[in-house]
Amino acid sequence: MSAFKITSVFRMSGDKQETVLKLAVLTIAAILSFAIRLFSVLRFESVIHEFDPYFNYRTTRYLAEKGFYNFHNWFDELAWYPLGRIIGGTIYPGLMVTSASLYHISRFFNITMDIRNICVFLAPLFSSFTTIVTYLLTKELKNTGAGLVAAALISIVPGYISRSVAGSYDNEAIAIFCMLLTYYGWIKSVKTGSIFWALFTALAYFYMVSSWGGYVFLINLIPLHVLALMVTNRFSNRIYVAYSVVYCLGTVLSMQIPFVGFQPVQSSEHMLALGVFGLCQIVAFSNYVSTKLTGEEYEILYKNLIFGGIAFLGGIGGILALSGKIAPWTGRFYTLLDPSYAKNHIPIIASVSEHQPTSWSSFYFDLQSLVFLFPTGLYLCFHRLSDANIFLILYGVTSIYFAGVMVRLMLVLAPVMCILSGVAVSSLLSNYMKDIDSKKMTEKKSKKSAENESELRSQVATFFVTGMSAMLILYVYHCVWVTSEAYSSPSIVLSARAHDGSQVIFDDFREAYYWLRRNTPSDSRIMSWWDYGYQITAMANRTVIVDNNTWNNTHISRVGQAMASTEDKAYEIMRELDVDYVLVIFGGVVGYSSDDINKFLWMVRIGGSTERGKHIKEWDYYSPTGEFRIDSGGSSTMLNSLMYKLCYYNFGKVYSEGHKPPGYDRVRNAEIGNKYFELDKLEEAYTTEHWLVRIYKVKNLSNKGS
Amino acid sequence: MKLVLENYLLIFCIAITACDCNVSPYLKIVNVDRLIDISSQIVKVTNKITFQNAGSDSVSHFVFTVDPKVIDNVAVIKGRISDLDVSLSVSEISVENRKAWSIKFENPLESGKFSTVDVYYAFIDYLKPYPTKITQNEKQFVKFIGNSYLYIPYHVSKVTTSVALGTKNVESYTRVEPVSYSDSHILYGPYKDLKPYSFHEIEIHYENNAPFLIASQLLRKIEISHWGNIAVEEEITLEHTGAKLKGPFSRYDYQREPESGLSSVKSFKTVLPAMATDIYYRDEIGNISTSHLYNLENSIEVELRPRFPLFGGWNTQYILGYNVPLYTYLFTKGNNYLLKMPLIDHIFDNMVIKEAVIKIILPEGSHSIDLNLPYNAERLPDSLHYTYLDTIGRPVITLKKTNLVEDHIDNFELRYVFPKIFMLLEPLLIIGFLYILFLTIIVYVRLDFSLSKDEDTEQKLRVCGLCSRVINFEHKKLKLYQSFEDKLSALKYNKDLNSFSVNVKSFNSEYKSISAQLSELIAKLKTESPDIYEKVSELLKLDKQLKEIYSQQQTVYVEKLIPGKINKASFLELENGFSKKKEDNLSRINKLLKSIE
Repeated sequence: MSAFKITSVFRMSGDKQETVLKLAVLTIAAILSFAIRLFSVLRFESVIHEFDPYFNYRTTRYLAEKGFYNFHNWFDELAWYPLGRIIGGTIYPGLMVTSASLYHISRFFNITMDIRNICVFLAPLFSSFTTIVTYLLTKELKNTGAGLVAAALISIVPGYISRSVAGSYDNEAIAIFCMLLTYYGWIKSVKTGSIFWALFTALAYFYMVSSWGGYVFLINLIPLHVLALMVTNRFSNRIYVAYSVVYCLGTVLSMQIPFVGFQPVQSSEHMLALGVFGLCQIVAFSNYVSTKLTGEEYEILYKNLIFGGIAFLGGIGGILALSGKIAPWTGRFYTLLDPSYAKNHIPIIASVSEHQPTSWSSFYFDLQSLVFLFPTGLYLCFHRLSDANIFLILYGVTSIYFAGVMVRLMLVLAPVMCILSGVAVSSLLSNYMKDIDSKKMTEKKSKKSAENESELRSQVATFFVTGMSAMLILYVYHCVWVTSEAYSSPSIVLSARAHDGSQVIFDDFREAYYWLRRNTPSDSRIMSWWDYGYQITAMANRTVIVDNNTWNNTHISRVGQAMASTEDKAYEIMRELDVDYVLVIFGGVVGYSSDDINKFLWMVRIGGSTERGKHIKEWDYYSPTGEFRIDSGGSSTMLNSLMYKLCYYNFGKVYSEGHKPPGYDRVRNAEIGNKYFELDKLEEAYTTEHWLVRIYKVKNLSNKGS
Repeated sequence: MKLVLENYLLIFCIAITACDCNVSPYLKIVNVDRLIDISSQIVKVTNKITFQNAGSDSVSHFVFTVDPKVIDNVAVIKGRISDLDVSLSVSEISVENRKAWSIKFENPLESGKFSTVDVYYAFIDYLKPYPTKITQNEKQFVKFIGNSYLYIPYHVSKVTTSVALGTKNVESYTRVEPVSYSDSHILYGPYKDLKPYSFHEIEIHYENNAPFLIASQLLRKIEISHWGNIAVEEEITLEHTGAKLKGPFSRYDYQREPESGLSSVKSFKTVLPAMATDIYYRDEIGNISTSHLYNLENSIEVELRPRFPLFGGWNTQYILGYNVPLYTYLFTKGNNYLLKMPLIDHIFDNMVIKEAVIKIILPEGSHSIDLNLPYNAERLPDSLHYTYLDTIGRPVITLKKTNLVEDHIDNFELRYVFPKIFMLLEPLLIIGFLYILFLTIIVYVRLDFSLSKDEDTEQKLRVCGLCSRVINFEHKKLKLYQSFEDKLSALKYNKDLNSFSVNVKSFNSEYKSISAQLSELIAKLKTESPDIYEKVSELLKLDKQLKEIYSQQQTVYVEKLIPGKINKASFLELENGFSKKKEDNLSRINKLLKSIE
């Protein structure tokens, strides 16, 4: 009799139970996705990471302090001396505007949060939003269950965490959210054909354009979807309405971003969208005409129109391309189509590690079990094809190609991996869970005939469900481990373990930057390899010759030439560039391997890639046996280059490791070949505690008399 | 009106000081022992002066002056009775348009009496490095220019001046006989019978590797929270004002040679209050990881290492913050509060602060603020500070003072009134916010904002509502059965048919009313959703069966058990049959209920 008493207390209808569960899973996933990204803040401090984020942070601070119009018209004289940089017209402002608005809103409510903290925590915050948007999107594509699994998966997928940990304040931090939001809007508008949703998509697309250059992927994927729908004969009025609105509004809106400008109607990257838009009109028109004409008449008209149209468009396109109205393909884009393009043609693109092709291991490292679930998800999509599913398939297939070409684009792949895996996990689990349940049901009814079969089914199901759970649990462990080990070091602060196990912190970068900030004239110009440009401008507040916005190849090449030349030759280049201080990163004392000597070959290559640097040949820097060496076997060009001298000045006397001769480089594991030399044209201005950063002052021309 | 009053006060004040600044011609100085300590960056002078009143009237005060050269550098001046720890009151005056100090004797000096007082003063920013630029491995030499006599408006009978150098390495010093030099001390004098304002310049050029560290800017923020915490944050700009570094800085030499960079500052110690917790040390680009904390008996010592060693001419900036529990500095009586804490605190030994700005942030809602300072400081206009959960803003008192040394570490007293009710403001704000948030969500969820009617969901909702009512009624019925069951078992024992029949009547009537309501609902359900209707009618059927069982049971009880027409065994059998049927029925009812939920 007590059976109904319990149910009467916790009585909740099925709908409500589902809502509670849904909310609980989503909330936990959102909180988790925020929390897992805080490793570095807890281990180190709330600090901006890496290189690019420092630029974004600096511009955000400017925007928050000076307001939008000043930001828009900002000419930054600290970068690219003597060229400078027009910030407003050369960046995607979405990120900065987002944080500055958050800053002002919180200020309005007297929440006196520091702008730095807002920047640091923006990426985790948007990851939480991404989790929710993923749920919504997957729900539209499949069902609620798949949505929840996808949301849970994306909250901790390393491929996405790698670019959205706390402190990683980069465009991608919010762009993935924008991208999925746009997709969500697009699927909604394809499904409903309503202008409202198309409008929503256009706005989301605008936000996406304002925040990341990767919007190009989006503006090609959506037309591709429409094209695919046309080819599969699924084109309908819904899609016509959706695409026409999204394309027109989206293009007009995207042109409001100064950095994008007229590209959407000029550059070849956007031509697919334009072409499909035209095609849409033609198809819609021909559909309309075909209802009014007889079959034969329509056939003639159709053929004529097609040939005429192709000839016309080809002519126009050719004229525009020849007259230079359609921008040529940019190098980075060629790399997308032909992975070996950059390596052969543009060293500056190839020198960036995140532009390298992805290795197989990094797929597993960044996605783990999703790699195996992805094909299953794809299969399930094909299984029950719909307008929305076609989109998912296209998204999956194209992004896996791009991710293979460039490591960086793993980021675009991660969400679709999660969505497809969510689809797979949810459908598989819900199928097999039924079989586990069926055991009890059949137990009572039939005894003999069905028993064996159902027993087997249930065993298989149990086995399968256990396996799947184990896989998911392993996924969680893997993700947490990867995040903690690989993606949570700020790279501006290094840490190592001492012999007794205690943590040693190398804060040399900030030591040097802060020294520059406090103790050099405020108009000094610093020459360093471009990697450190953003950090120097942001933390040292000094003018740099080149920075991470690598738009001017010759200028960077000039710096590369200076580093690769002898001191005298380099002095001429440095006088020409008005350099006051030279900054180099040297890891030989502590064993920090990504220092300037290891990057030196890129400097040589980039230095030699322009007309003025023709005399710099990569081969001169190799030993006769063709190796890159810094010990006495190295080539004399190498041992007398400016970079070599700046890194190893006075190092010949240092005992860096026990039982080794002085001047033992702990990165290259060799005793340096050129030990005792003096510098004439430069003098050591500052060297940090662990010799990681060395700063030299360029001496003035000597007096005439002496 | 107020202005006029202030003017009056001003005149009054001037009148008072005017009478304090005359130099009594009868006051004579019998003996002066001077000790000039120039071993650090601060010049500390202690004058032990013995006065004699040669006049006939008693003299209440004397006037003290310092050389015109250093007058602007004087940071602090103190007077006390020699060998006793009784300080004398010092007030600033002007004599012949020059700054001077009037120091009161403890008791007016009677005619012919002697009195010995110590006048201590320190001046800063005075020792000049010479040469002004040195290389990294050179030592720092400084020049001191001083007075071997005492510059004072009185006749001095005898003066001796001892200069403590803190080093044996002296390049040169002015010889004014008699003079002797021994073991890091130079002794001038005794000189006899000196006129008022006598001055003889001495110049000493000596090695001084003491850190010439000054805090050129100090911004000290004291934020009081009545939730139990005082947050102190100091933003400090440090500058090495010694000999500037010439030529390169060699890290190799700095790490290898102990003699290299002697005058540079590697680290320094800051003494914090003993109760300080959550200490942080950072600057505008982040946390500075090089600091150590030592817990001493009655203070906390923090060893701070700037990001880079400070050589001459280099500067750095940092922020040091900590929390102190409220009870260490705040005293209370009702709504009146008294804050008593140091206006400035220790930064490093022999510190010099060129300019300090102190901000005291009081809790929101405090008023009637009354500030009492240990020494004069400029009070800048009050302002308001807004932070988390503030509505009307916190009053901020801002003070500014230049040229401070360690002797300025002294408590201020700040009285204010803070109505305790304001403590509730912040929790109430949060509660209010959450209340409004949930209210809006509730309202939003319950209201339908769509323009078009969605028949499907509406019907679903209607059916849902009907179902839940059906379930409610069914539960009521089940409860009725339960009570009926109880009554039956009661009947079994007390065999009181009368009361039982009364109960049965009420049960029946209640049952009927519920059934009537149920059938009404079911009629509605029939039109809304046929399949649920089916289920519900099955439910009713089951219910009827249950009722049937109960009435059978009742008949058995009333007609057979009570009159005793049945033997025990067959009764038990019957009873078992009933309970089994009931259980079966109930479980089916429950299953049905679940399915329509």
